[in-house]
Amino acid sequence: MNAKKLLALLLALVMVLGLAACGTQPAEPTEPSEPAETTGSELRIHLITNVMSLDSGAATDGDSFEVIADFTDGLMQLDADGNAIPAVAETYDVSEDGKTYTFHLREDAVWSNGTPVTADDFVFAWQRVVTPAFASEYNYMMSDCGQIKNAAAILAGEKDPTELGVTAVDEHTLMVELENPVPFFLGLMVFPTFYPINREFCESVGDKYGTTYDTVLCNGAYLLDSNYEPACTSFSLTKNPNYYDADKISIETLKYQVITDSQTALLAYQNNELDTVILSGEQVEQVSDDPCFMTYNAGYLWYITVNQDQYDFLANVNFRKALSAAYDRDALCSTIIKDGSGAAYFPVPEQLATGPDGNDFREDAGSYKEQIGTYDDAVNYLAAAKEELGQDTFEIELLVEDDTTAKNVAAYIQECWNKLDGVTVTLKTETKKQRVEDIQNGDYCTCLTRWGPDFADPMTYLNMWTTGCTNNYGLWSNPDYDALIADCTSGELATDPNARWQALIQADKMIMDEMVILPVYQKANATMIRDGVEGIEFHAVAINRVFKNATVG
Amino acid sequence: MKKYIIKRLVVSVITLLVVLLILFILLQLMPGSPFNDEKLTPEQQALLYQKYGLDQPIIVQFFKYVTNMLHGDFGVSYNISKNTPISELLKTRLPVSLRIGAQSVVIGAIIGLVLGIVAALKHNTGWDTLTTIVSVIGVSVPSYVFALVLAYCFGFKHKWFPMLYTNRMPFQSSVLPSIALCMFTIASIARFTRSEMLEVLDSDYILLAESKGITGAQLIWKHVLRNTLIPVITVLAPLIVGLMTGSLVVEKIFAIPGIGSLLVTAIQSNDYNVVIVLSFIYSAMYIAIMLIVDVLYGVIDPRIRVSKEGGHD
Repeated sequence: MNAKKLLALLLALVMVLGLAACGTQPAEPTEPSEPAETTGSELRIHLITNVMSLDSGAATDGDSFEVIADFTDGLMQLDADGNAIPAVAETYDVSEDGKTYTFHLREDAVWSNGTPVTADDFVFAWQRVVTPAFASEYNYMMSDCGQIKNAAAILAGEKDPTELGVTAVDEHTLMVELENPVPFFLGLMVFPTFYPINREFCESVGDKYGTTYDTVLCNGAYLLDSNYEPACTSFSLTKNPNYYDADKISIETLKYQVITDSQTALLAYQNNELDTVILSGEQVEQVSDDPCFMTYNAGYLWYITVNQDQYDFLANVNFRKALSAAYDRDALCSTIIKDGSGAAYFPVPEQLATGPDGNDFREDAGSYKEQIGTYDDAVNYLAAAKEELGQDTFEIELLVEDDTTAKNVAAYIQECWNKLDGVTVTLKTETKKQRVEDIQNGDYCTCLTRWGPDFADPMTYLNMWTTGCTNNYGLWSNPDYDALIADCTSGELATDPNARWQALIQADKMIMDEMVILPVYQKANATMIRDGVEGIEFHAVAINRVFKNATVG
Repeated sequence: MKKYIIKRLVVSVITLLVVLLILFILLQLMPGSPFNDEKLTPEQQALLYQKYGLDQPIIVQFFKYVTNMLHGDFGVSYNISKNTPISELLKTRLPVSLRIGAQSVVIGAIIGLVLGIVAALKHNTGWDTLTTIVSVIGVSVPSYVFALVLAYCFGFKHKWFPMLYTNRMPFQSSVLPSIALCMFTIASIARFTRSEMLEVLDSDYILLAESKGITGAQLIWKHVLRNTLIPVITVLAPLIVGLMTGSLVVEKIFAIPGIGSLLVTAIQSNDYNVVIVLSFIYSAMYIAIMLIVDVLYGVIDPRIRVSKEGGHD
């Protein structure tokens, strides 16, 4: 009978443990969904990955840029429509040749340690980015994109960082000299790489700058709270009372929550733990009738690059046209991607750049939908290609990264291409890092890849197809095209906005006439925003989401 | 015993160094590099390699790393949290994973043992069937399914516990993940305990003990349980390490700032130092737990201690 006693004892133990495991809940009346100790309005924001860096000079990803922009102001900022408007720079002058910019900084901008934001803070930050030993991954923003005087030479180790074409004329006047006129230069100034960094503070924290909340200074609308830890999953920012525009900031606290699992993220939103959530493609159907659902342009263009150097049949224009016409982009977007992404019949996405006439680039350049054609056209193109090449069968490998959407898109394209007579397509899946390495080394046949814009100008895409550009994975080369782009970058066209715009339209057409790349779709992000939350601004370039003009009803 | 432990410790240190060297070599074989984003030019990549010393021969990197490690410097993260020392990165994450892991090990082991014992003692009754059902479910259903169900039922529907991990309520937030994680432990321990105990109950020495008049609790505690525990502890050891180092998916579902998710992100982004340190911690824990288990064997069954000491002295 002792065994029975033992059993009873053990059972009692199980029950006690069972109670201990869930015993706290009846005693604890706090509701986890209700955030504690809130004084004013707050916005609870979903992030998919953790913030990789708070250092504006070292950050490279969209999420980090967004958070850095919450607590840092650069010379310029984006308005709701994506135009660059003054931020720390109150006014600016541009020289007649377009090669010298003088920014007059506002005197009431201060860092969170009380020191004023000065022209020297910009000089320091920019010199730091181009210092070769610092190895900023975005240093090309200063050299290739921004064309800042001596930037390229400094990066090549030929000049000292102090020779960079940026000077603090006085405490509140910053002068920037460029190698060539850059029509989109003001737009670049919203990019965190160009944000100021307080020299004295940065030197005092050394290599640890931007790794924790106490190793950065804030000068923006919000201050980073002490709950920020490296790679943390939740943190917050509080309204900066010393911000020069503080009276225009409505929301007191921005609370970020990192959730990688999209299902959990949506549940958290439905559980009222988030005010805005980013959805994955497969969730869209589930919520698309909800009035809080919306999509916004993410800026990325997904396209297929074809290796024209190693595969003779891919160097044939008709063959490339056949491949491009064979897949139905609209069907792909509406039945497979389903997150609001749009069909891309062009090499430069929509809503990227506004021309001197105030029109979107795509409005002026038009769509190539008709020209690309349909499957029937693909059959004709293929017949022409076969005749020109004297070849009847083609084996194509389509390289794709290990991502659900990308793999689905690739599978669809594979199916369409396989329908073409004599074409056999195999898929090859690799990690993103490996895929990038392979196409950089020219070790591929065709590859589904993407490009996100670095600045709001068609050049961020068109420049890639010039001879020798490291992103020209297909190794297409055309001297006329190179000359046209060079003229827009550093030639006569650089100072004539209207003529340059026309030249860019012409370059855009050349890419599609030759089908240098095979555009697939333009990525959109799907999101839910709770009722009563207004004024979150979405942008395709630089900062994806801006919260400082948002309100919570 | 002392000598034995010292010997084992020395072997452990050597093992860890070998593990570290293998990790270094494996990382070189991993596809891609930390810095091959499509936006990077070869020149920039060269600058980055130089900055982090990755342009040096692997063996030089290895010795440099070991030297730095002995000085408490585990390197910095390249991607996950740029330029952040790894020690800083783990300072808050490691305790979270350890705590949730420890909770689930304790809950899992105790419930598993109890279920197993009950099932064996009440062989071929309703209790036994219940244990078998629990075991089958626990072993066959992955922990993330439990995690999703728990998050939905108790986090979303009933709101008893937070759905997402929050530092404000570390205990409440760890309840659901701990339960989700412990299901597998419960199932395997229960199954193992049951079959071991049945075997022991059937053995000749128990019959002898019973015939000598030892019955009830004394028989179970002193003779049956002790002999049952040896194999159970052997299976528990690797389970402990697995749980302590966190489960990727469960961490993902509850948005737990632990090290399980960190390791996978680190591998995907080729964040070498993070991978090295986490794998190193993993190995060190494994070795430590194996050592503890070996010592525990001796405590539970003195015969093992005697034979081991005899063997090593």
